[in-house]
Amino acid sequence: MIKLLKIEIKKILTYKIFWILFGLYFFFLACGILLAEFMINNMVDDMNRHMPIPFPHITIYYFPDIWQNLTFFASIRFVLIFPAIIIMILITNEFTFKTIRQNIINGMSKAEFLASKLQIILIIAIFITVVLAIGTFIIGVSHSGFNDMALVSKGIPFIVGFFISVLAFLIYAFFLAFMLRNTGLSIAIFTLYSLIIEPIINGFLRSPFIFKNKIYSYLPINGAISVTEYPAIPILKKVTGIELQGGVTITDCLIPIIYSVVMIGIVYWVIAKKDL
Amino acid sequence: MNTVLAIQSLSKRYGKIQAVNDLSIEVMKGQVFGLLGPNGSGKTTTLSIILDLVKPNKGSFSWFDSPPNKESRKRIGSVIESPNFFPYLSAFTNLQIVADIKDQTYGDIDRVLKLTGLFERRNSKFKTYSFGMKQRLAIASALLGNPEVLILDEPTNGLDPQGIAQVRELIIKVAGFGITIILASHLLDEVQKICSHVAVLNKGQKLFSGDVSKVLAISDSLELSSANLETLQRTISTHSKFQSYTKNGMMLQVYFKEVVEPGEINSFLSQQGIVLTHLSERKRSLEQHFLELLEDKS
Repeated sequence: MIKLLKIEIKKILTYKIFWILFGLYFFFLACGILLAEFMINNMVDDMNRHMPIPFPHITIYYFPDIWQNLTFFASIRFVLIFPAIIIMILITNEFTFKTIRQNIINGMSKAEFLASKLQIILIIAIFITVVLAIGTFIIGVSHSGFNDMALVSKGIPFIVGFFISVLAFLIYAFFLAFMLRNTGLSIAIFTLYSLIIEPIINGFLRSPFIFKNKIYSYLPINGAISVTEYPAIPILKKVTGIELQGGVTITDCLIPIIYSVVMIGIVYWVIAKKDL
Repeated sequence: MNTVLAIQSLSKRYGKIQAVNDLSIEVMKGQVFGLLGPNGSGKTTTLSIILDLVKPNKGSFSWFDSPPNKESRKRIGSVIESPNFFPYLSAFTNLQIVADIKDQTYGDIDRVLKLTGLFERRNSKFKTYSFGMKQRLAIASALLGNPEVLILDEPTNGLDPQGIAQVRELIIKVAGFGITIILASHLLDEVQKICSHVAVLNKGQKLFSGDVSKVLAISDSLELSSANLETLQRTISTHSKFQSYTKNGMMLQVYFKEVVEPGEINSFLSQQGIVLTHLSERKRSLEQHFLELLEDKS
């Protein structure tokens, strides 16, 4: 297994496109997180123009709410699609360059090849999660100081939930890349589905007159990103009437995990059967 | 015995096209085995099957007397179709990846790079290589770690004459190390120059196989002429190796059952009192012979 990881790291270490996209991802992630409060308060100011009693400004960077808030912002579709695109490029490259063929010829098994890609996905998901956890901790400390360990440990479920969101998102990308074997097509369909098609289905399923229960949360992308479904912003409840979640539940995590396991199974089955 | 590769009645169909049809081949240790056939005769498909890239519809194969597995592939060095490497990685890093997969150390990389004349450019990215260099890198990667078997699919395809000469020289050199080589080619001349054994394929079927010198033996003919063509005809027909003749204007083209020396025929005819006004050796071109082989059997 270490051997496969060694090979995979060689493939990306000097791959400029990978590092550029990865850098851009963290840049946008940082911008989004740091500007979130500013943008929300802009919206609050907008609303307040029509309100006799203005809402107070919101703070999102205080312990313990910061954990829920930042994992929420980091797991919205537009942000998570970045690392997913990176994964699709890494996998479809192997088909474009025919290096998957060469790897098999040289003595890699198909299962090992899939394992090597899953390993790199796991490493990237862990890395993103750790960076977010550290960043959140630093921002939290700088806003509310570090005085209560309990406030910090309250973040653990959200961080674990975020990790599952990222991992599932990347595995969806892995699935599509292996099914389509084409960089442009994979990226186009993934983007189209996750940013346009699913939100439309989602909106339809959320219509309270048709569907009483939360069917929409079983959609793959929705399931993955709604591990942290809402930020911990009380005003949201007042404005929209949505019941905000208190924490991350096992059921929320189970949906993306089941999707991921099924997708890995399908990829394994197809790769084992199909000619390369 | 030292069977390296045994293929038993292999078949592969792509839709309507029967790419490989009931093919059986055996390659023994130390052979330089040629798979000869025109484009689309199933050579690459056969190689893809025995390297586990493509699943056959029927039949089986074994490497080193055991069922195919990834460990046996590590003992084989292969170049299939085009050189497949990461364009943004250097030749050296690309070969490191190959060595990693084959469970080898990096100690052999310098040797194969020097052998293929790429050592000076080892740190250049693969995409900056010329086609000939790419092909040589593919051969370098196949040679990494002294494999027991080398599989080469059209190794000189698309190369300039100098590149072709270099690659052929390299193969002959490698064959000298005692490595078993399986070479697919549509060039008769290439197979004849390099291989010891050959299987001729057409439309996925094996037409002939065996020793190169036997399968590709060429029946020579002589072009003769003398003052009296009729006497010449009568006399040459009595020669023990005579097979047939065709009249070609004032020339007689005579085919023999086996290879004859022009001198032998000349002295035979002069003993019979015939003075030749013309005597020349005619060799059918190799390609022409190959086409005849294909036509005869299909």
